Amino acid sequence: MSLLTINNLSVSANGAAIVKKISFSIGKGEWVAVVGQSGSGKSVTASALGQLLGPNLKAEGEVQYKGDNLLALPLKKMRKLRGTSLSYVFQDYQGSFTPFLTIGRHFDEYQKAHLSLSRSARKQQAQEALVSVGLKPEMYSRYPFQLSGGQLQRVSIALALLLRPDLLIADEPTTALDSISSFKILELLSSLQKQTGCSILFITHDLRHVKNYADRIVVMKEGEIVEQGEKAQIMGKPKHPYTQLLIDAASSLKASFPLRSKEVAK
Amino acid sequence: MEVTAKFSKPTYKTISLFIVIGLIATVAAYTFLFLKHDPSFVNLNERLLPVSLEHPLGTDHLGRDVLTRILLGSQLTVGYGFLALIAAVAIGVPCGIFAGFKGGLLDRFFMRIADAFQSFPDTIVAIVLSGLLGPGIENLLIAIVLVKWVNYARLVRSTVIVERQKDYISVAKVNGLSSWRIMSKHLYPHIIGHVLVLASLDLGKIILLISALSYIGLGAQPPAPEWGAMLNDARPYFQSVPSLMVFPGLAIVLVVLLTNLLGDYLRDKFDVKKELSS
Repeated sequence: MSLLTINNLSVSANGAAIVKKISFSIGKGEWVAVVGQSGSGKSVTASALGQLLGPNLKAEGEVQYKGDNLLALPLKKMRKLRGTSLSYVFQDYQGSFTPFLTIGRHFDEYQKAHLSLSRSARKQQAQEALVSVGLKPEMYSRYPFQLSGGQLQRVSIALALLLRPDLLIADEPTTALDSISSFKILELLSSLQKQTGCSILFITHDLRHVKNYADRIVVMKEGEIVEQGEKAQIMGKPKHPYTQLLIDAASSLKASFPLRSKEVAK
Repeated sequence: MEVTAKFSKPTYKTISLFIVIGLIATVAAYTFLFLKHDPSFVNLNERLLPVSLEHPLGTDHLGRDVLTRILLGSQLTVGYGFLALIAAVAIGVPCGIFAGFKGGLLDRFFMRIADAFQSFPDTIVAIVLSGLLGPGIENLLIAIVLVKWVNYARLVRSTVIVERQKDYISVAKVNGLSSWRIMSKHLYPHIIGHVLVLASLDLGKIILLISALSYIGLGAQPPAPEWGAMLNDARPYFQSVPSLMVFPGLAIVLVVLLTNLLGDYLRDKFDVKKELSS
């Protein structure tokens, strides 16, 4: 059963189409990867799902989620969904945190917005979330600039999964990290997905980041979907020459990357 | 840009700041303990007296004690300056946050109003308002606030526009925070440093403006001991008793200098040089 269905989604900026009538669906507990080079409209698609597009961008079409069209949802309802049903992890981990608030205050803000918990319960929940992404509970009282990139990205994943959303949209979460850290993040996402059963919409430009984890792959080029299907089919027998190009680009780098994900995951 | 207080070794600015603050404290203590003259008590037998123990800065053309008038005048000049500044900040900052954060039509509306106000020099607006409402320090205040709030709205708007595009605002949004919450908890602290710096630099300008307009008779009315008005009172006696003009003038210079020092000090502390020069 599909959790979220995108029907003929188009996004345009002042009449120029950025995303052209794309359709795909995300099943419950599924890891769907959207792959494409920069400018292919994959990030814009992700933003459109949560009504996060800038004022000059217009989304048309339909995004079905539990009987609602997310694109037409009033802001108040959307705000309730954000964080609780649908959450995001972004590429820029440094910019994802308000610089003058501690990690704990970030948790606090989001807990206050959606839950009614006592102060100590909030702190305990936040520290458990930190432990669940492999960080020490002491991080609770640190400031963002005291943490490394990988640690910050772990915190953003903890924040995103705090309220047990149905769908996690990860917009190039590993792009700004070094390869070892990014494989660790991928392993973490994969194990958290198994624990919580959430679906993941994973946006990346690099097939290497998804071939071990994704269930299905959507290949985008210039705002259109050129090919979509099961991972084995896309990776094994690509129909479109562009997909073949992406696979070739990924495998040509494989030889020079000596670490296997299992060794790195520790 | 992080608003972090840096604790460095005291520079000449810090030291001079504390010297002047000490001076003001001494003066305030003197006013509180020893002020024995009525600022508007006219005694024509003691007019234009030179500096003496009884009258530390002499007396003016109506026999009023100059020191008493300067000290009490600080309430008018500096006090009203502060008042005007606070009002301008209180109007400008929320307007700037709203305009910058919401964008779109609201932003354009606010900014066109701001343009309209900014296209008139403050002195002209003050003179016109005084002409319409009648001279008086309250009308002068209204004029100053009308002109000055624009600077704060603009500064805050540009800061908010830069910050709003950063990911942490998107993150706050996707985690379901309301716009109000984002503005008050995630944006406001970014702005406060910039506003403090601009405000402390503006205070000197506002004090000068109040004095200047009072000097030409549009601000404080006699017998109020406003510094600019005192300068105006002393004008006919400039040749015979120049000290009558020197002391209020010195008071203005000292206070304006102090506010500029304070502005520099805060600017170093918050390190927002780039934003102010652009």
